[in-house]
Amino acid sequence: MGFFGNIAAGLRALVSGARVEREMDEELREFMEASVEAKGRAGMAPAEAARMARIEVGSTNAVKHHIRSAGWETKVEDLWQDLRYSARMLARSPGFTLVAVLSLALGIGANTAIFTLLNALLLRSLPVEDPAQLVLFGNGKWVGSVDDLPHKSWDLYSYPMYRELSQKNEVFSGVTAIDSIEFATHGSVSGESMEMLHASLVSGTYFSVLGVKPALGRALDEGDDRVAGGGPVAVASDAWWKRHGNDSSVIGKSIRIESKDYTIVGVAPPGFFGVTVGEYPDFWIPLSMEKEISPGWHGLEEKRFQSLYLIARIKPGVSLQRATANINLDFKQMLRGEYVGANPSQKDLASIDHAQIELTPAAQGLSQLRQRMSLPLEILMTIVGLVLLIACANIANLLLARGAARSREIAVRMAMGARRSRLVRQLLTESFLLALMGAALGIGAAWKGGQLLLAIASGHSEAPPIDVSPDARVLLFSLLLTLFTAVLFGTVPALRATRLDLTGSLKQGRGNAAGSSRNSLARALIVSQVALSLVLLAGAGLFLRSLVNLTKADTGFNKQNVLIFQLDEYSAGLPLDARLVNLQQQIEDRVKALPGVEAASFSMFTFNQGEWSAPARVQGVLRTPETGGDVLYNVVGTGFFSTMGLPMVAGRNFDAHDGAKSPEVAVINETMARKYFGGASPIGHRFGIGEDETQSREFEIVGVVRNAKYVALQEHPQAAAYFPYAQRVQYFGNFEVRYSGEAQQIIHAVRHAIAEVNPNVPIGSISTLSEQVDESTANQRLIAELSSFFGLLAVFLASIGIYGLMSYSVARRTSEIGIRMALGAGRMTVLSLILREILMMVAIGVAIGIPVALLGNRLASKLLYDLSPADPISLIAAVAILAGVAALAGYLPARRASRVDPMVALRCE
Amino acid sequence: MTQKTGDMVQGTLEMLILKTLALEPMHGYGVALRIEQVSQGVFRVNPGSLLPALARMERAGHVKSEWRSTENNRRAKYYGLTAAGRRALNDETKAWGRQTAAIARILEARS
Repeated sequence: MGFFGNIAAGLRALVSGARVEREMDEELREFMEASVEAKGRAGMAPAEAARMARIEVGSTNAVKHHIRSAGWETKVEDLWQDLRYSARMLARSPGFTLVAVLSLALGIGANTAIFTLLNALLLRSLPVEDPAQLVLFGNGKWVGSVDDLPHKSWDLYSYPMYRELSQKNEVFSGVTAIDSIEFATHGSVSGESMEMLHASLVSGTYFSVLGVKPALGRALDEGDDRVAGGGPVAVASDAWWKRHGNDSSVIGKSIRIESKDYTIVGVAPPGFFGVTVGEYPDFWIPLSMEKEISPGWHGLEEKRFQSLYLIARIKPGVSLQRATANINLDFKQMLRGEYVGANPSQKDLASIDHAQIELTPAAQGLSQLRQRMSLPLEILMTIVGLVLLIACANIANLLLARGAARSREIAVRMAMGARRSRLVRQLLTESFLLALMGAALGIGAAWKGGQLLLAIASGHSEAPPIDVSPDARVLLFSLLLTLFTAVLFGTVPALRATRLDLTGSLKQGRGNAAGSSRNSLARALIVSQVALSLVLLAGAGLFLRSLVNLTKADTGFNKQNVLIFQLDEYSAGLPLDARLVNLQQQIEDRVKALPGVEAASFSMFTFNQGEWSAPARVQGVLRTPETGGDVLYNVVGTGFFSTMGLPMVAGRNFDAHDGAKSPEVAVINETMARKYFGGASPIGHRFGIGEDETQSREFEIVGVVRNAKYVALQEHPQAAAYFPYAQRVQYFGNFEVRYSGEAQQIIHAVRHAIAEVNPNVPIGSISTLSEQVDESTANQRLIAELSSFFGLLAVFLASIGIYGLMSYSVARRTSEIGIRMALGAGRMTVLSLILREILMMVAIGVAIGIPVALLGNRLASKLLYDLSPADPISLIAAVAILAGVAALAGYLPARRASRVDPMVALRCE
Repeated sequence: MTQKTGDMVQGTLEMLILKTLALEPMHGYGVALRIEQVSQGVFRVNPGSLLPALARMERAGHVKSEWRSTENNRRAKYYGLTAAGRRALNDETKAWGRQTAAIARILEARS
């Protein structure tokens, strides 16, 4: 019959069960008749022959059962039977089912939601051809540009380096370069209005190395990337194309971006978003257009303008080690040959010795978001994992109680001949059914929850464009998790329930043979729940207190009443000279004159927007480890300090006299003054940027301003210096306005004022300084909020467990309590008898939980601000909450016990 | 001496059925009767073991069954060997031969 025949026969048996049954009956009858006949021929009396034949055949039902078991279909039938029976049993105790399914839904749902995020950010591969072959040069941690030779593993490379490395090597089938910054610009298709566009600058090899075929038109090729300015073409993303009419006639149209026309030559395939998870460029434009897209920040021909990520495809059969060795050889040769000149400085030579390219697998792509969120996500994953464990312990406890209550039913079934394995299987089926129902509900909730979590985590009202729809991996994870939980909470109760002293259970309605050991197991489960809850609560307390510390941290600047406009002055089409400065000053002056506006200024950075940092060389100060280290630089307008609310401590602010032709000046902060000048006044001293002594550009310090936070609230005081933009012309993004009164009116007035100065300056997003500060702590907020939620949930689950166990135990001990009371025990004695039992369990749980919590909190110490991981207040608060809730959960059953009427209790035996 | 099928060496029942059916197709009782007769009553196979074994072998593709009239005009389910069943019989007979020979050598060995 073979494999397929077997399946076919099984299916036939499943579908037409009645006919198979009839055939079996007929065969058995025939067997019996033949036997009777043969016995008659051998001389046996007919009645005797019939009797013997019946004995031979035995129970026809048993025989039929055995015949049926020969096929696989009986397993399916058994399962179906078990499922139906389980559904009936669960429907009969809706309260239990509801509690179990809801707590499982919470547990599995939370795990699925967090895992969905983990998957989207950390695990999923790029939608490109054979992503496992892709490697990134470095770790992709840096963004922006570097101009020295880092004496460690490199992340960023210049365009000449890209050219040379991709030509020399023998281990890659292709190398592509991607600008580390995604440009936010403005542009319009002919006739349509201006819109905000995100452009990614890439080398001509980009699409071929990634193996991505355009959905329409052609991809970029090396011809587009040969000469600077020689590739005014663009490949649109699928999303942009769909927003703009979904029409194939788009190919050949031109789009004007920042006063330059680009021909749209192709459309990328759906789902392709580039190589950075969390960024969705609208256009890919050849790197040859760098100067046109980014006039203030470019350096295609400069060997030391290192701003590119390099991604390569390893040739098949070449190991990562070999590729690393090979590329590093080329790299060092290249650096020695061309990058340090004929007379290399000692420092450059030392740097080259330590410089290296670390190749890292790039199958999952790059992501700044990933670097920021992986630790928080891992912590959250641990937290929700613990919550699920607590939920499992709870359900196991409920099932134990149920098993005890069902001991009579189970005893009857065993007495009727059911095997223990069969009963265990049936009880486990019940657990699986519970777990599946919980999972269905939980996964449904996680579907939407993932998006929401992402939005909260990123600190924006809108989620970053990351695809968090559950894929096969997420579903597999949830399925395995469901099976795991069912086994975890179902096995022990099922084994317990079927380990019965049959006669005892049948005789007494209330089986108590396994009672005491059941109780000790239940107690152990409660203790572990208490311990786990304590760990979660203590962690939540830490994160909350750390968040409070962060929000109380002194920013230095005054974050209230400051609006930040994202302007794009580049669109006005002015070159980088006095004309641009003039425009910027006009805008500042016009806005400052508005009623309700107190101060306004352009600046390179406000807060948490990145940094421009380099060491400073100060005249007359020797370089020591203390005076080494980076200084943060910012370029600002004259109104910056009053806009940010940063008072001058010494000297003067920039003013109108600090122009392009006057001596270059700078304002430094208190930390920088102290670092380089100690107690002496820094006013009048000069410093330069970078370590290169031959650089002649130096700045005179004219003022000292109060310290502030620059990149993050957590940072230690940093040395910082400010330059006036009149002496350092550049395009800005930030335009900040300090106001009083109604923000909406100010926004409206500022828009008008800017349009009046120059209608070609588009205004992008508008936010406030305090929003920026809040966004910088979005991660901490997310962890604090979610860990508190899950911590309280854990305590709630544990208290349900305590309540359930104590109610059950009080009910079982009614007669004992009755006797005690009849013998003169007072209500308070009984009350304290029960409560003592609960507090004992809580105490043991706390004793186990505290060391675990201390150990676990150490892992989270990286995320804490101004707080020790062993913070006693969080721990004490956790213990207090836990003890309080546990006492409350135990009080209700204890009061019931103390109200037992001794007469009633004694009579019920 | 009589021996019940329960004491039969594991797996031999199917071999005996295959051997019995190798001569001609038979119905269930015929197989049981033939095994009892040929073994001179040593093996007595009851339907509780025989019919499930036949069902198993049918699923494995070693035998095929059809409903036919018996010699005294009743309907009965007749089992016959398939080609796979013949190969299985051949293999099992050889294996059995090797095993009994080995057991015999062990039992006859003098220490």
